[in-house]
Amino acid sequence: MAATADENEETEESTAAPGPEPAGRRRRPGRIAQAVSVFGELLITVGLLLGLFVVYSLWWTNVLADRKADKQAEKVREHWARSTDTGPGALDTKDGIGFLHVPAMKNGSVLVEKGTSTDVLNNGVAGYYTDPVEAVLPMTGKKGNFALAAHRDGHGAKFHNIDKLRKGDPIVFETRDEWYVYKVASILPETSKYDVGVVDAVPKESGWKKPGHYITLTTCTPVYTSRYRYIVWGELVRVQKVDSKRTPPAELR
Amino acid sequence: MYGWIWRHLPGNVWVKLLVSVVLVLAVVYVLFQYVFPWAEPLLPFNDVTVDNQ
Repeated sequence: MAATADENEETEESTAAPGPEPAGRRRRPGRIAQAVSVFGELLITVGLLLGLFVVYSLWWTNVLADRKADKQAEKVREHWARSTDTGPGALDTKDGIGFLHVPAMKNGSVLVEKGTSTDVLNNGVAGYYTDPVEAVLPMTGKKGNFALAAHRDGHGAKFHNIDKLRKGDPIVFETRDEWYVYKVASILPETSKYDVGVVDAVPKESGWKKPGHYITLTTCTPVYTSRYRYIVWGELVRVQKVDSKRTPPAELR
Repeated sequence: MYGWIWRHLPGNVWVKLLVSVVLVLAVVYVLFQYVFPWAEPLLPFNDVTVDNQ
């Protein structure tokens, strides 16, 4: 755009230059005019930069994160396929512990890894909390809260459609040996980012009173910002063994 | 500014155009590869967790 505009300007100038008229005034704009023109170009540049940043954060980071997450997911699947024996490998947390399937979010399967630092989440995965409260993994069989976080926008945007979840919708967590089927129990559409109580073993705002097998999804809200946090709580309904064909449970069919 | 750059590019209009396209692509590459990844964590758009900080 800028290039063609300048091109026109220059051809105009060069045709005007050899003319007999006193074209000097047009060729040498005053200092103020020059300063204004540079300022204007700087403004255009800033506008373009901001536009590019939007493209970067809403599109390019998704491309990169999805690519990485797909590769990582493949690795985990391969890992599972190779070690069919039930050993300590079932709790191997290095590459990722399993996949989250939330049909209402229409985002396929989301790899779950350890930690909620940006380094982890920027790879297009969901991370389980280790801080401020350590999440209790469903494979341990213990009562507790399996608290997860993922990006709402950019970097895979794995929880982008979290607002599409309704009470009773299934959230399925797939591990090497089991399908853990949760049902959404309650939703907190907006809370402070300092509200660490939402990832407690028995979150106060969820309405639960006793410890149980819970899952918590956290992300930022409203979309494109991180002013507040959006929380979805679910409770374990049943556990289904993975069969030889990895037939998904009824909720995912 | 842009006019100055255009006048200082070598060759005829087509060569200039080609060089400008290459320059623009180089700038976009540097931005996407180095500048934006550096700037992003400093901006408050992508925090998704609850924490004490």
